[in-house]
Amino acid sequence: MSRAIVFSEVPQLVAELVTTAARVADEVHVVALGQPSAASLDGVASVALLTADAARPESFVAAIAARVAAIDADVVLVGATVTGWEVAARVATVLGVGLVSEATALRRVPGAGWQAERVVYAGGAVQTESWSGLAVVTVTAGFAPAARDVGGAAPVQVVPVEVDARVRVVSRSVRPHEGVDLAHATRVVCVGMGLGSVDDLAIARGLAEALDAEVACTRPVAEDREWLPTERYIGISGVSVRPDLYLGLGVSGQVQHTVGIREAAVVVGINTDPNAPLFGVCDYAVVGDLHEIAPMLTEAIRAVRSGGAVESAAS
Amino acid sequence: MCVKWVASASDLLVDPATRTIDAGRAHRAISEYDRNTVEAARVVAGHVGGDLVGLTFGGPEATPALKEVLARGADRAIHVVAPQGARIDGHVTAHALAAQIGRIGDVGLVLCTEGASDTYAHETGPRVGELLGWPVVTNVRELGVEGTTLHAVRVLGDVLETVECELPAVVTVVPEIGPAPIPGLKALLGAGRKPSEQVPVGDLGLPDHALMPRTTVTSLLGFVAQRKRIRIADGDAREKVAALMSGLAQEGVL
Repeated sequence: MSRAIVFSEVPQLVAELVTTAARVADEVHVVALGQPSAASLDGVASVALLTADAARPESFVAAIAARVAAIDADVVLVGATVTGWEVAARVATVLGVGLVSEATALRRVPGAGWQAERVVYAGGAVQTESWSGLAVVTVTAGFAPAARDVGGAAPVQVVPVEVDARVRVVSRSVRPHEGVDLAHATRVVCVGMGLGSVDDLAIARGLAEALDAEVACTRPVAEDREWLPTERYIGISGVSVRPDLYLGLGVSGQVQHTVGIREAAVVVGINTDPNAPLFGVCDYAVVGDLHEIAPMLTEAIRAVRSGGAVESAAS
Repeated sequence: MCVKWVASASDLLVDPATRTIDAGRAHRAISEYDRNTVEAARVVAGHVGGDLVGLTFGGPEATPALKEVLARGADRAIHVVAPQGARIDGHVTAHALAAQIGRIGDVGLVLCTEGASDTYAHETGPRVGELLGWPVVTNVRELGVEGTTLHAVRVLGDVLETVECELPAVVTVVPEIGPAPIPGLKALLGAGRKPSEQVPVGDLGLPDHALMPRTTVTSLLGFVAQRKRIRIADGDAREKVAALMSGLAQEGVL
């Protein structure tokens, strides 16, 4: 009889982790904070509701680790959020076990323990990790569908616990943002460090307007030059996009960026450097000056979208 | 502050047929975002009048990391040396770093980057904090120390969370913590004159279980993007635009 323990401070992630856990273990036990709502999810064997005076989820590390030991779990699944990353690493340390961060595959190997895959080198490679015995694995949102609420009544055990109150929350504020939703944009025009000046952003904006696209950028454009807000940068520490069309203007294509465009359907690069790494991972590599080509492209797209035909390349 | 010596992801050569990776010729340096972390640590150390110690753990090949952190502002640097080819995971790394931090003594603050550019596992900082028994504050974009109190602003998605705790503490930072200035010639030359030390991990007195990796990497395969790679390089700008428009029309994305 194998047992999985599931923890996330995000209810939606709990439901998804229950699905993942049920694929690899016979019993799924949930450690919850605040609400025992997971008790009604399909496949949940028990819920331990940890209670304490107002505290951050990170304060419950010792209590979560104690619950893992009490259940004698075979695997611990934690939702991959900022909080989850910390909780997972610290629980693994308390228990003296391994951690696999943001697994993209998880399986039991009969007679040989466990295997998980994860993306490394900013998306450049996939690493398989193996282990036997207990380990903690973090899993990102969307890895599995949420377990259905079947109105079940898994036993809920309320567990008052001591928490670690050394880190105190002074305030919380919502980060000011434009409300741009790059992750769901169907077309993206992305500017890189090849853009000559901040004024040239008008070129990208014109092209984006013609295409009904969102404007995005690489990390240095947002972080170093501060030409666009950080919520518009694509890459390993920024947003991942999956548009029908990604158009990179002056984007060199460092892997830290291109990991965020792997799911784009069509990738176009425009760059003066014929050896730009982006050209190795794109569908259309236009070698040329974006400042000359992008305005012409904007006009051509406007003409087509207003009812004109695409001019033949040979004409 | 802790840094990791890594191969540059953009230099990995992937065999498109077998997906095997040749990292032999990849440029190596401290992890990209560690550069921002070193600078943030330098600023904090200057503010409190403390020494900044650069610390790394890895095989003998990681020694150049010392010179880089010294050039970027560390006062001294320590390389905890793992035997050549030793298997290392996050569990082993954290034990080695925590043990060495304990040996330094009188450490008030440990800074790590939230993730390394090769594995990005969000693991080392929290593990080190847990082993030291110190408070842990992760994903920090603003940092300050007043007296013995740490003030930090964490990024949790759309929410900025301001927290405080008493030192000693372990903090992980994101690149937004600040810039990563390129060291000048004077700093590079001065790095050679600063103290640095190599400590064999076997000298740390760690029990066997601390140096026994919990997970093993059993395969590493390159990601090969399935793209058309149509090159449009001939003709003038108008011809290139026409060629691209023709392609985009065929793709049905106009």
